[in-house]
Amino acid sequence: MHTIIRQLEEKREQARAGGGAQRIAAQHAKGKLTARERIELLLDPGTFEEWDMFVEHRCSDFGMDGQKVPGDGVVTGYGTINGRMVFVYSQDFTVFGGALSEAHAEKICKVMDHAMKVGVPVIGLNDSGGARIQEGVASLGGYADVFQKNVLASGVVPQISMIMGPCAGGAVYSPAMTDFIFMVKDTSYMFVTGPEVVKTVTHEEVSAEELGGATSHASRSGVADLAFENDVEALLMLRRFFNYLPLNNREQSPSRATNDPAERLDHSLDTLVPANANQPYDMKELIVKSVDDGDFFELQPEYARNIIIGFARMEGQTIGIVANQPLVLAGCLDIKSSIKAARFVRFCDAFNIPVITFVDVPGFMPGTAQEYGGIIKHGAKLLYAYAECTVPKVTVITRKAYGGAYDVMASKHLRGDVNFAWPSAEIAVMGPKGAVEIIFRKDIGDAQKIAERTEEYRQKFANPFIAGHRGFIDDVIMPNETRKRICRSLAMLKRKKLENPWRKHGNIPL
Amino acid sequence: MFKKILIANRGEIACRVIKTARRMGIKTVAVFSEADRLARHVELADEAVCIGPPPSKESYLSIDKIIAACRETGAEAVHPGYGFLSENAEFCARLEAAGIVFIGPRAHAMKAMGDKIASKKLAIAAKVSTIPGYTDVIHDAEEAVRIAAGIGYPVMIKASAGGGGKGLRVAWNEHEAREGFQSCRNEARNSFGDDRVFIEKFIEEPRHIEIQVLGDAHGNLVYLWERECSLQRRHQKVVEEAPSPFLDEATRRAMGEQAVALARAVDYQSAGTVEFVVGRDRSFYFLEMNTRLQVEHPVTEFITGLDLVEQMILVAAGEKLAFAQQDVRLDGWAMECRINAEDPFRNFLPSIGRLVKYQPPAQVENHVRVDTGVAEGGEISMYYDPMIAKLIVHGATRDQAIMRMRDALNAFVIRGVSTNIAFQSALMQNPRFVSGNFNTSLIGEEYPHGFNAADLPHDDPALLIVAAAAIHRRYLERNATISGQMPGHEYVPGNDFVVLMNEVQHKVVATPVAGGFDVAYGGDRYALRSDWEFGQSLYQGSINGNGLCMQVERLGLKYRLSHWGTRADVQVLSAHAAELLALMPKKAPPDLSRFLLSPMPGMLTEVTVLPGQAVKAGEKLAVIEAMKMENVLKAEQDCVVDKILAKPGESLAVDQAIIAFK
Repeated sequence: MHTIIRQLEEKREQARAGGGAQRIAAQHAKGKLTARERIELLLDPGTFEEWDMFVEHRCSDFGMDGQKVPGDGVVTGYGTINGRMVFVYSQDFTVFGGALSEAHAEKICKVMDHAMKVGVPVIGLNDSGGARIQEGVASLGGYADVFQKNVLASGVVPQISMIMGPCAGGAVYSPAMTDFIFMVKDTSYMFVTGPEVVKTVTHEEVSAEELGGATSHASRSGVADLAFENDVEALLMLRRFFNYLPLNNREQSPSRATNDPAERLDHSLDTLVPANANQPYDMKELIVKSVDDGDFFELQPEYARNIIIGFARMEGQTIGIVANQPLVLAGCLDIKSSIKAARFVRFCDAFNIPVITFVDVPGFMPGTAQEYGGIIKHGAKLLYAYAECTVPKVTVITRKAYGGAYDVMASKHLRGDVNFAWPSAEIAVMGPKGAVEIIFRKDIGDAQKIAERTEEYRQKFANPFIAGHRGFIDDVIMPNETRKRICRSLAMLKRKKLENPWRKHGNIPL
Repeated sequence: MFKKILIANRGEIACRVIKTARRMGIKTVAVFSEADRLARHVELADEAVCIGPPPSKESYLSIDKIIAACRETGAEAVHPGYGFLSENAEFCARLEAAGIVFIGPRAHAMKAMGDKIASKKLAIAAKVSTIPGYTDVIHDAEEAVRIAAGIGYPVMIKASAGGGGKGLRVAWNEHEAREGFQSCRNEARNSFGDDRVFIEKFIEEPRHIEIQVLGDAHGNLVYLWERECSLQRRHQKVVEEAPSPFLDEATRRAMGEQAVALARAVDYQSAGTVEFVVGRDRSFYFLEMNTRLQVEHPVTEFITGLDLVEQMILVAAGEKLAFAQQDVRLDGWAMECRINAEDPFRNFLPSIGRLVKYQPPAQVENHVRVDTGVAEGGEISMYYDPMIAKLIVHGATRDQAIMRMRDALNAFVIRGVSTNIAFQSALMQNPRFVSGNFNTSLIGEEYPHGFNAADLPHDDPALLIVAAAAIHRRYLERNATISGQMPGHEYVPGNDFVVLMNEVQHKVVATPVAGGFDVAYGGDRYALRSDWEFGQSLYQGSINGNGLCMQVERLGLKYRLSHWGTRADVQVLSAHAAELLALMPKKAPPDLSRFLLSPMPGMLTEVTVLPGQAVKAGEKLAVIEAMKMENVLKAEQDCVVDKILAKPGESLAVDQAIIAFK
């Protein structure tokens, strides 16, 4: 008995030591924490229950049978973040470079299965050199097993990936299928093929950081939802982010105590929209002044900045926000912004998070780049996402809502539950200038006539009343009461029940 | 008494005049340019008339439009405020011709005093002490140099029509006199449409002290003591106080009597200000008379208990002064800080934009007064003066006034545009200012390389550390209220923290108690009490029984605390997290020294260098126009131009790169 306990202690000691002091020092020297240190920071202190510490790989080729480390390069288990349960796996770069073996994959699959069974999210902390080459196809099979679990868990429990080291080749596809990808600047990268292969095939010279670093993915590709300065910031912010998410698709979005009055008015919003319709303003001010405590957790802030997405709370409860940003490209919809917002709306819908939409959209971005890029199909994604979405939807039109983009942005026609407009709202097929040039084409040469017609059009259509006549707008509200009216709408919608017809799954225009 | 008056101004002074008029039962008419449609003065007035496009020339300076507005609304009198048309004799005369009363001096007095050369002659005639100088029109630079040599360097070169530091140069030698004359004349022509320039002796270690006078139409004239306005930055007043810590009773009386004598010489009616320069030995010389209400008049109001706008209106309506010189009170100490939309950390460049947050400190009867022209959600435009508010305090003593000012500055929340509040806070702690022993060069001497964060060490950093821990503990506490926790395994926040400030770790224990926290730090205990709520900008309460008010902003994992001018980004962590954070690499900020960045939003008007050109430190690189001011950007070190990244005529954002260096 004593021997067993001693052996147990030894094995635990060995597992905790990971790849050994030297590799741990190397990991630190790179500015990275170890797999276990990361879990300690992520979870409430002392709550981590580790599983499968004694798992070892089963490979005997290339001398691998002599190299075994208990745990096999990934630390798995569960614990709590602010008292709420979460399953975690954290790849250990100090053990075989965090390479994924069959056993390593099994450990990941095990926590994912459990997460599904008990209905709690999964967080993966990725730091892996890739497949365990010595294991060959067994390792590839391991990846595929994880992918399959990711897909089955999608929309059932939230899945979050934090990329904290290399993540290349096939390995990228597990994070790619999770709901959110976060990265750490300078120490993490993600790409399907690395700089060496890129150089051979396309003759492009590019560094790993530039090709797949956190900044690239957060600003250029949109793969990463956020990029953090270092491991500590990343994990502490991940704790904060986790507070917004429900545990699974059967639970309501979480709520938290707040003292911010639901009826709070903000008169400064009455001057947010400039008198000149072509002058931009910062939509984030409206968001920050409407939500609880001014606390807005923005996602993808550097990507497709013409649309804003993120989480906040209203009367303590998590909500998702989608808003056009007039400061960037006049807030128009284009390929990137449509995809960005569509995916976010679908996440909210899958996890019972009400969606608040702030609209100031002049239309879709014109041009060959957009058309050849498939704006028709990509724009349709956002349309589809809003149309199939059954969670409470509250929409506020602050200024422009033109053309098809008006329809797309959670309009009444797409089952918007409550649709408000500010007095400055202009809901029309297009702006006065463009409209007049089409309706009164024959007068185009006559500047004065055009000016008169434009003014006439403006008087008639550049206001919220035409839409109001038809009930497409439920009410015209003063900007200062936006928070109050949204809070009341959400309270009214608390028990909203809406179901889409049964089907195997819809066919979103991918 | 008038039934209705029009205020031919904008901003805080328009609001301030409206307030007094309303108290007197007089209806008010505001005028506004298209840029000010939503401005506070428009909202406060009983009526408002739009008088044209944003540029002042086409609106606030348009005599025709203002007279038309009077006619349209039936206003019987006009209060001009300060600036704009307040010292425009033509405006005065035109109003008179239209049968509208000008609330201010008569046109002849204004005319006599409006011209610096003429006013100096008048002063000499009235036996008012004046600075040695040359008062006739100077025709060219060579003549200027000759005259300067005659007076003896240093000399001051001033625009005849100038004011408030505009069109003013000091020359210490022949070369500077020649250059100063040229540039002074150019600026005078551009700014005032009058290129006359004069030269006088420059007084060393000068203090700027001015006397407030008040006269009626019946020949009664009093002086309402002095205002100390020596705290100036580039000849612009920054802080004003009354009385002056420098004057003795005899000097005060002598200056007051001379001021009254001068006013009498022009039959002065209404409120006016006689500016003096006072030397080290308390010798004083007349500078100029401002024939209007001054920006800094509230400090006089605080110590005398008078309302100067009310007095101006009464006098304009033909009433007699209700008091004589011996009745004028001098009670306690008053101080005013001008709150400007400018960035002290970027060499005080003007800042424009939307006032995303604007919460002035609470006004306290007889103690704290805020004269403000803006409201939250308002716009600071490039068209007008950057001064958005005045913070005025009163105390029994100068020290008490300073303490009240420091507290009030702590509570002044402005977001969206940069302001000089941190700089004002620094001045309120500057030992020379606090001692009262300073002159107009204080700011230039104390901050020779501009103002930067290093000029603001906090007196008591423990306050910041302790507050940060308490704030953080409250966030954790609230996290513990989240729904969906594992029953029996709920989150319990700890009390032990490491506070990271300026890369130094501080161990702190914050224990929640009723109404706040007892915080242990560095062997001391701090009883911190506050009813602060999440999202509030002001953390107000007490620490060990003393009042505490600091500003807090949550930026990612950090708390940005502002207190007494210091701005600290503080992070609060568990001991374990702090240990791990110490392992993280320190990232060097990107090298921006290779670029010339736009220090403010504005329009690039000129790039004066070419790619490949070698420039010396101090050489002119580019010119940006913002808020009607030309800002010359100079090379900070010797360098070679690589690329020009922006074109003249382009509007620039803050920190936009203009030039890349090799």
